[in-house]
Amino acid sequence: MSGLSLLETGLLLGLYVALGGSYGLVYAIAHLKGASILHGMSFILYALHGLVAIAIIVGTPLQVGWKGLVVVSSAAFLAIPPITWRFLRVTHETEAQG
Amino acid sequence: MYRSQHLALKYLTAAIALFGVMTLAGLMAAYYYINPDFLFGLLHFNITKILHIDTLVIWLLMGFIGAIYWFLPEEFGRELVGIWAAEILFYVFCAAVAVVAVVFIVVQYGSSDETALWFINQGRKYVEAPRWAAIGVVVVMLVFAFNVLGTAYATRRITGITAVLMIDLVPLILLYLDAFPAITNMSEDQFWWWWLVHLWVEATWEVLIGCIMAWTVMQLLGTSRRIVETWLYIEVALVLGTGILGLGHHYFWIGTPNYWLTIGGFFSALEPLPLLRMVIHAIYDAGTHHMKTTNRPAFYWMMAEAFGNFLGGGVWGFMITLPQVNLYAHGTQWTVSHGHFAFWGAYACGVLSVIYLVVQKVRGLGHVNGALWKWSFAALNIGLIGMVGALLVSGFAQAFVERAIGGSTHEAFIAGQENRWFVEGMVTRLIFGLLFAAGYVALVWNLVTVGRRVPVLTAASEVK
Repeated sequence: MSGLSLLETGLLLGLYVALGGSYGLVYAIAHLKGASILHGMSFILYALHGLVAIAIIVGTPLQVGWKGLVVVSSAAFLAIPPITWRFLRVTHETEAQG
Repeated sequence: MYRSQHLALKYLTAAIALFGVMTLAGLMAAYYYINPDFLFGLLHFNITKILHIDTLVIWLLMGFIGAIYWFLPEEFGRELVGIWAAEILFYVFCAAVAVVAVVFIVVQYGSSDETALWFINQGRKYVEAPRWAAIGVVVVMLVFAFNVLGTAYATRRITGITAVLMIDLVPLILLYLDAFPAITNMSEDQFWWWWLVHLWVEATWEVLIGCIMAWTVMQLLGTSRRIVETWLYIEVALVLGTGILGLGHHYFWIGTPNYWLTIGGFFSALEPLPLLRMVIHAIYDAGTHHMKTTNRPAFYWMMAEAFGNFLGGGVWGFMITLPQVNLYAHGTQWTVSHGHFAFWGAYACGVLSVIYLVVQKVRGLGHVNGALWKWSFAALNIGLIGMVGALLVSGFAQAFVERAIGGSTHEAFIAGQENRWFVEGMVTRLIFGLLFAAGYVALVWNLVTVGRRVPVLTAASEVK
């Protein structure tokens, strides 16, 4: 790996997780506030996360297996916020009713 | 208040004091990078670094023990069994820490023989304390375990949180025994040593702080036990599921078989996912309580823990965890940047949250707020983020110049150290370190005075 591609790969990997986290953060705030604009913004952030994932797959010298892991992780990043949010709501509502 | 809660106060006070020693030693270590002649012939850089890292481990451990001694009697509804032994051992623990620190500073190092190993330095990074002191740590942990298990047995009452805590005590103690062997084969030694360092930090400590934060959430936000325990089980499963085999990312370059590249890379790449779940949980809790709480500093430090853990452990960790990047990044300031951020987010913020909660209870305060905690919160977090950013830049320069271009030769090492980006990163780190230290001073002042000046002001206004 050349010096430049090392830095590019490291930064892209960091940005990849940061954008995945930002999507989750804004998704949660959007549901909390019931604001559709924030909901849209969360998916824009996820789209940016997806673009970074593509950049990692296409533009970095990582081995195929790691690139596959990036794809699978992106699916997990997409799924975790709604699943977590739903589970949180259900457990709190059940507790409130009980 | 229970006797164990009085003991908790002592542990938390000692933790805050050692936090200060860690900060001072960190500032000194940072200054060595700018002026390598600093204290030349008097105090070596490596000793300052040992003091910085070992006090980090000890202040967090004391913070955990203090927090658990605080919450446990309320959990069991009675005084802890054998609390007298824990009270004695607290003073023994503090005296041992002081003696070890003095030996590190005054004696510094000895010959490569058994005497030095027993009385000066074990020579194993992060667990340098001489063997007699390491045995002392084991005794403290055994008494701590006896307090927990003995009380659970006496009350015949085990909650979900205490069950998780009791199970966690087994690896917590057993893994520390790994601090003792003096294996001469470097690869073999590193292999087992990482069991202690990684599995303490990314497994048993994660579970400990999970239990502590579960109690904190219950007391701070009034969340029900059933919800908290459900989430604790999920959190523990996810963290251990990714964290245990994430150990493999330390096995990349120490002479272990190649399959560790795949195992370590795969499991540690999954580690950001449970941390994302924690961020969403934090947002949910903050939102449903409309950011309203009777203890704002405790609440904000709890939030900082969720975000700091994700950023430090998740984002910063993922940058360097895949073997192809780690080949160049390991052992540079890039990993130091990750280490600072992850420890701060995962543990330090959580302990500070508990300390504010305890201060509120001890002083009987209806509300904890004011301006000073905000200054300390801002200075500590901005200082930490500034240090982490500066270290990242220095680490980039090292990985680029020394590793990728220079091929890790001695000449390349010197070129990396002299690189302008590296040097400026180190200067910037020191500046933000000073800001962090100012935040520490404000934190201590706030903890000492919070709630104590209000009655005076109230009395004054009543007189008027």
